Amino acid sequence: MDKLKYKQLKPMIDPITTQVIRNALVAAAKEMQATLVKTAHNPLIYEVQDFGIAMTNAQGELIAEGSGLPGFLACIPPSIQAGIAKIGLENFNDGDVYLTNEPYDTGTHISDTLVYTPVFFDGQVVAFSAIMAHWADMGGAVSSGWCTWSTTIHQEGLIFSHLKLYDAGTLNRPLYDLILKNVRYPDIVEGDLHAKIAACHTGTRRVQALCKRYGANSINDAMQTVFDQAEKRMRREIEAMPDGTYTAETYMDYDGVVHGELRKISVTVNISGDEMHIDWTGTCEATVGPINHPLVGTEALCITMLKSLTMPDDPMNHGHYRPLTVTAPPNTMVSAEYPAPCDSYGYVAEMIVHLISRALAPVLPERCPACSYQMAAFQFYQTDPHKGDVFTYGEPLDGGGGAFHTDDGATGIMFLGNGDAPNVPVEVVETRYPVRVTRYAINVGSEGVGKFRGGMGIIRDYEVLTNNVLIQTSNENTQYPPWGLNGGSESGASKFVFWPGTDKEETYVTERVSDYGPFHIGDKLSFQTTGGGGWGDPKERDPKMIEDDLQNGLITLKQAQELYGYSK
Amino acid sequence: MRLSVDVGGTFVDFVKFDDSTGEITIEKVPSSGKLADQFMDGVGRLNLELKDVETIVHGSTLVINTIVQERGAKVGLITTHGFRDVLELGRGNRPEIYNLFYKQPTPLVPRYLRYEVAERLDAQGEVLTQLDEAQARQAVRDLAAQGVDAIAICFLHAYANPAHEQQMKKIVQEEFPDGLVCISSDIVREFREFERTSTTVINAYTQPQVDKYLTELEARLTAENYSGSFNIMQSSGGITSAQNAKIAPVRMIQSGPAGGVIGAVELGEAIGLYQAEGIKNLVSADVGGTTFDVALIVDGQALEKSSEKINRRPILQPSIDIVSIGAGGGSIAWIDPEGGLRIGPHSAQADPGPICFGLGGTEPTVTDAQVVLGYLDPEYYLGKRMKLDKQAAANAIEEQIAQPLGLTLIEAANGIIHLTNMNMALAMRQMTIERGYDPREFSFVCFGGGGGLFVSALLEELEMKEAIVPLNPAIFSAWGLLNADYREDFNRTTVFDLVGMTGNDLSAAFDKLQDSEQSQITNNQPLATSLQRFADCRYAGQEHTVTVPVLDEDLTADDLSRLKQRFDTAHEHAYAHALPDHPAEVVNLRLRALGVTTKPQLKKMAQTTTTATNAQKGSRTVYFDSGPAECAVYDRAKLAAGNSFDGPAIVEEWTSTILIRPGQMVSVDEFGNLRIVQEL
Repeated sequence: MDKLKYKQLKPMIDPITTQVIRNALVAAAKEMQATLVKTAHNPLIYEVQDFGIAMTNAQGELIAEGSGLPGFLACIPPSIQAGIAKIGLENFNDGDVYLTNEPYDTGTHISDTLVYTPVFFDGQVVAFSAIMAHWADMGGAVSSGWCTWSTTIHQEGLIFSHLKLYDAGTLNRPLYDLILKNVRYPDIVEGDLHAKIAACHTGTRRVQALCKRYGANSINDAMQTVFDQAEKRMRREIEAMPDGTYTAETYMDYDGVVHGELRKISVTVNISGDEMHIDWTGTCEATVGPINHPLVGTEALCITMLKSLTMPDDPMNHGHYRPLTVTAPPNTMVSAEYPAPCDSYGYVAEMIVHLISRALAPVLPERCPACSYQMAAFQFYQTDPHKGDVFTYGEPLDGGGGAFHTDDGATGIMFLGNGDAPNVPVEVVETRYPVRVTRYAINVGSEGVGKFRGGMGIIRDYEVLTNNVLIQTSNENTQYPPWGLNGGSESGASKFVFWPGTDKEETYVTERVSDYGPFHIGDKLSFQTTGGGGWGDPKERDPKMIEDDLQNGLITLKQAQELYGYSK
Repeated sequence: MRLSVDVGGTFVDFVKFDDSTGEITIEKVPSSGKLADQFMDGVGRLNLELKDVETIVHGSTLVINTIVQERGAKVGLITTHGFRDVLELGRGNRPEIYNLFYKQPTPLVPRYLRYEVAERLDAQGEVLTQLDEAQARQAVRDLAAQGVDAIAICFLHAYANPAHEQQMKKIVQEEFPDGLVCISSDIVREFREFERTSTTVINAYTQPQVDKYLTELEARLTAENYSGSFNIMQSSGGITSAQNAKIAPVRMIQSGPAGGVIGAVELGEAIGLYQAEGIKNLVSADVGGTTFDVALIVDGQALEKSSEKINRRPILQPSIDIVSIGAGGGSIAWIDPEGGLRIGPHSAQADPGPICFGLGGTEPTVTDAQVVLGYLDPEYYLGKRMKLDKQAAANAIEEQIAQPLGLTLIEAANGIIHLTNMNMALAMRQMTIERGYDPREFSFVCFGGGGGLFVSALLEELEMKEAIVPLNPAIFSAWGLLNADYREDFNRTTVFDLVGMTGNDLSAAFDKLQDSEQSQITNNQPLATSLQRFADCRYAGQEHTVTVPVLDEDLTADDLSRLKQRFDTAHEHAYAHALPDHPAEVVNLRLRALGVTTKPQLKKMAQTTTTATNAQKGSRTVYFDSGPAECAVYDRAKLAAGNSFDGPAIVEEWTSTILIRPGQMVSVDEFGNLRIVQEL
């Protein structure tokens, strides 16, 4: 049959086959994602996309990524490489499913557990499919995995180091039972586990189908070609950057445990020819509280940022990694080692990304935006049934993005590390929870000024409709706020105002609160996030843009005159 | 006699259907110039008296073009105090995760045209703060003074109680009688304030243009003695009167592509697919020059969605779930900076078009590769209306693709085609899987001017059961318009627990919805035929909902356990798991009023004793990826019911060329459809 002949045809012409295989692998990763989102039980996966999906070759080198949180994606290959080193490629079996989540291997925190499976073809491991996603619970000291006060990894939950959940297709029942016994929401964890395994198998089938059609060697050859192409392009991008050493530093407010102590984070980017080296010497040692970030995760964020700066639209692969090296002294806040606590790593993760942009801004002014607002979030809860309605409601708050070389920053956008997560509509909040939103507005004046101004933060005002409500807040980088670039100014700090306009009014900025309150019926709160930094000299701002802002009530005439030198 | 008019990117297509004979007449007019003139021009060419026509159905891309090109009206917006920035802030998410410069789209109403008035409802629709009438009047006067064309109004929780919006509408009509006014509760009664505001603003933004266009057409049709009904295709795949369309143009977003999907639904019915054993599902694909619109038809119903985004702007309206994939004959082949061959997403569009059109194109397209490989006859394009410059196409592919990649011309052209087919197939597979289906469970209806050149490769790549290419594939969308039923959709966000509810409670909730819309249902005369009820359900604590049909028996049941089971099953299908023991909620009630129309009965072809050889008009060499092959070329006009032949082959008709790959077999059914199958 002709059809059959066509299917088994040898690679027709190399550049074409290469491209077909490359696209097919990216599509395979997207199919994995569709399977995961369709089948997961945890809203963090199917509504907030708190996951990363990737396929690697037998060496653990990235061959295709699905979407999700950018930092996660780049953590997967090193985790698999660690697994290969530990287990040995020859010891994998067809039908194995592995779990691993030791942050010093996987890069973030315990909740982001990696599930991976070897892909076999003709008796050989040809690839791995893998999913890293936030688990509903890991059995740590606090529910759902974002402990703000842990001082050792052992408070944060169950740790797996490349354990086999399935051995050649057979469930490892004791491990399975152990997991489900130790997590708070076993039904969700179980459902999600199956979703992740199903998604890995989807990827496996697509890769096997490609191997059958083109041959495993062709897949490998094609990917080596694609790696080389990506590497070449990345080297060309780096080569176009001026050689030199560029540095930036800032300070974190608070580690969640020890008060009143700033934590330095410092980066040095060295560009030499077509290679880049990023070093974190100067960063403070691992903190007592859980804001630490393991080096694997720091490397992942460095490559993510390098790719965002140079070729944001291309699907990422191993070739992009090759011209970059990342180093840090042992056991700093960005290279945490056992047993440093890592559960609320996100503050530092967000800053790592922005700090690279800050270091490179002087030589790449057209690639690097000014700093955006940093992580800000809140949670309302009333967990005691004896005291009233039991509920938990929280969300990350949007804020202002940094300005850049062609435009003002984004107003009311999610911080980078939280990717595609949407806010909760006011009408949904009021349908579900005993709170009322009394204002959702642009936080006018929260931005840094410049030729292009920062995006503005938001104001979200609440009134509490039940008694005994407590609150927890997240906020960072208030003492060293989001910076401007190229003559643009810094913005300010996000604020949490409790009981505004009353005798009891309290404003929290640097200090994060937990179990704060109680708030009772009629009590009001105001959450005000900051904007992004400005870009360029404000005196160079296009008068048309100033007039637009004036017309739209985003600045006053006095500000226009004083800050921007507007004269009309 | 019925008439349909379908506006596409390159052509306006016309179909005249004579109910007494079953005859179809088709016409095409290039879609450049003034829309209303093209409409009347094409109607004029059909050689008919408008007074003999009973109904005209129109599919239009005016609304979507107005949004995409941002050429709409100057709109003012009035919101609840404290919420005028909702339209600008949106949901805050960043879909482009690596884009450091990502920004939300600029709001269609700038901040200075967004006013707030004191008023407030709670989630149950109870009034917390009365509407401040003085403030409201002042806001309208201010907006009128700013020179707006239309005022959109969206108050918090107005889906639960429209009283304040209606009061506000009256104030606008009094204070600003020359302006158009659009309140959210007339357009969409669902929660989520950003999406509802966006929908209402888009309606107001497109309304003045749609109003002008349809009013002009009505006048010109009347001037030519037309007295039949004039209907517009909606995104839902149902038609509505032009009068209604002027009020809610936001329901016309998918007016253009919906016709083809409805045509495919009816084609499946006509060939007995839904009664057949085995495969009962259809993928419909409309292949144009630049995009390729795919929809799924499951058990005879096109899959729908309740919201969509156009240029990243959300719209809450029922719509056929059509996914546009950016690939087609006009897609440009290029070499990326890393040395890889890429196809699209840029397209040569209609102007300048592919190089072989000789209209100034300089970048090689998929169509150019098809000419080089012999898929298209340079002398017989659009039935000889256009000649193709094969040499220019070959030169460009040689220089721009073959030489840089170290390939021969034929290898390069085949590479372009192969990669395009693969990209299309991967996108189709992904959209199918995302909706919980496997493409192998589907038959494939492929139409549009370019469909014939992709159909056989997609059939092969996706291992579908069968491909069907209807007669006159290029005007199939226009034909589909004639098959649509009248339809109006009414929705309400009404959140309640499924457990503890009786059928009576649910019935009362639907009655309340129906009562408040009764005038809409009865004023649209043809809508008497049937009412269908649906409920969007979810498990407590989840955000996403699944739409489940509500049956008559649910409305009288002692409890809603049957509905719950149906929801569990639907959830299982969509998300591969169900939580039967977990409490569930109804979130939205949906009422669909249908006026079923008589479908045009296609004339069956006479059975014949002639063989396909009778229709063969020659042969030519086609270069497949497996090598060159001599292909018989058939004249579709001469193919008769019962004819069959094997690939490789080519079928030519006036508006389309259909390529059959080696290993495929074709038969012609009684309606003249080409039925292509392959051995798997």
